Amino acid sequence: MSFVVDPALPARRGIGRALLADPMGLAGLVIVVTFVAMALLAPWIAPYDPIALDVKAKFLTPSAAHWAGTDHLGRDLLSRIIWGARLALGIAITSVGIAGVIGLVLGLVAGYGPRWLDSGLVLVFDSLSSLPMIFFALAVITVLGPGTLTLILVIVLVSFPAYARLIRTQTLTLAGADYILAERAMGARPGRIIFRHLLPNVVGPLVILICMDIPVVIMLEAGLSYLNLGVKPPSPSWGNILAEGYTSLRQAPHVVIVAGVPLVLATLGFTFLGEGLRDVLDPRGAGRRWA
Amino acid sequence: MIPVLELQNLSVDLPLGGFLTRGGLPILQDVTLSVGRGESVALVGESGSGKTTLARAVMGLQAISGGAVRFDGKAVAGRDGFARLRRDAAMMFQDATASLSPRLTVGYLVTEAFRIHRQPLPDPARTARELLATVGLPPAIAHRYPHELSGGQARRVGVARALALRPRLVIADEPTAGLDVSVQAEVLNLMADLRRDMGLAYLIITHNLAVVRHVADRIVVLYLGRVVEEGPTAEVFAAPAHPYTASLIAAEPKPDPRKRRADLAIRGEVPSILRRPKGCEFHTRCPLARDVCRLTAPDLRPTTSGRLARCHFADQHQE
Repeated sequence: MSFVVDPALPARRGIGRALLADPMGLAGLVIVVTFVAMALLAPWIAPYDPIALDVKAKFLTPSAAHWAGTDHLGRDLLSRIIWGARLALGIAITSVGIAGVIGLVLGLVAGYGPRWLDSGLVLVFDSLSSLPMIFFALAVITVLGPGTLTLILVIVLVSFPAYARLIRTQTLTLAGADYILAERAMGARPGRIIFRHLLPNVVGPLVILICMDIPVVIMLEAGLSYLNLGVKPPSPSWGNILAEGYTSLRQAPHVVIVAGVPLVLATLGFTFLGEGLRDVLDPRGAGRRWA
Repeated sequence: MIPVLELQNLSVDLPLGGFLTRGGLPILQDVTLSVGRGESVALVGESGSGKTTLARAVMGLQAISGGAVRFDGKAVAGRDGFARLRRDAAMMFQDATASLSPRLTVGYLVTEAFRIHRQPLPDPARTARELLATVGLPPAIAHRYPHELSGGQARRVGVARALALRPRLVIADEPTAGLDVSVQAEVLNLMADLRRDMGLAYLIITHNLAVVRHVADRIVVLYLGRVVEEGPTAEVFAAPAHPYTASLIAAEPKPDPRKRRADLAIRGEVPSILRRPKGCEFHTRCPLARDVCRLTAPDLRPTTSGRLARCHFADQHQE
């Protein structure tokens, strides 16, 4: 995957407007903003306590009192979905954010630093990305025990090498640019060149890649939680809700459906937004949406 | 008086081959030249003659394989040496727009030298305005980004950036490249004015002989990475001592096309540096080549008129 962001096109102010003009980007933006708002406002908008049991009211189908119905322990599913958004986005954004920063710094250092450091770092990136993601995740979870922090650690470890490699490639192509030579000729030291002159010019593609990785991470979190290897119950992870709903699929199919819809929507929303951003920031790739 | 810049037998090799095969491709060979205080020296030659490599080698952007660079009489070496050189000498790049960091404003870019060299910068906005005024740009330019500048404006910003710390030497790589003729003249006049006002020395790299006539006191002609002629501009133009120089001058477009000297016109392409001609490296294209030129390489030596030329017959064919 290679993106080159032409700084001349479009101007910074134009990005938002161009994104709004693209129907898919707009849809993605709306969905993402909705989920982010849900996550941020969870304590205020959730009608019930997501872990409060009400055994008498179990397996209720959607109604005026429980818009999305209740699960096998009588917990309000809408509230669990809303709090689940907080968990899913919280984990996804935190882990991808940490991975992004690590990937950015290591990629810049590998791309602009001395040759031996580059070789060493590339070895690390390649080793980490050669591990199959799920097995690596299972191994780490087996050693450290399941939990939110383990989950974040796993996601950071499996995603930062791709970011670092993207940034390294970008940095390598820019390292010979006239303006970098000009800065060196003015006596700028490597730290200044890396952080003030290279970073702003390589970070654009990373933002796109990160945005497109968030749905992957949401799925990974839900998947591991579904397998009881992620967020521990009774925390309302979408994966947990799905796993619990699955056991009662015949009695109450609405539980699985209700938990699946936000997962599908969130995944779709971030993917659309990421692709919309890519098309806006990298006009040469426009039209190859599904390529 | 000690010259600002002295190059002594400067050689640059481009590394070749893998880790078992040593050696390199010589780009510059034994280039010796000096730029005096306040002097303007032009380095001319065709594409591929090593002009830009020389500028980069001086600024430490290109590793040198032999010889020495002396700035203000002191050999430039090590981190401190280059830090000092890069503060007191500035380089203007051929592509003015591409040499400005694209995500930063002009205001930041012109004052960046102060930040790099930790010089006092109490009021960046004011310093930026003053520097822009020096090169004849309005203060509003400070808020623009490089891609919002015209070619001429970008060139002036490049000059302002170069002048920020009041350097003693400016190395200008093709200062008129990509500009239309009226803007070329403005930039050259600006450079001449600044030289007079600030006592700058210039090393101007160009293949545009009109530029050379306009701004240079002395001219150094490079061919395949070697100096083939050196002397005061007026004398070289009046009577070139090396046939290559003569051909360059003859190839220059003239207002009256009938006055072009077809007999001196340069023939063929620059030979590949991978297969340098034996003997005099210019003999393959020289209108005056004789047998001796194909066998023996001439040295760079003084002519009777006191210039330097690398030609067996330098004293004979001066008209």
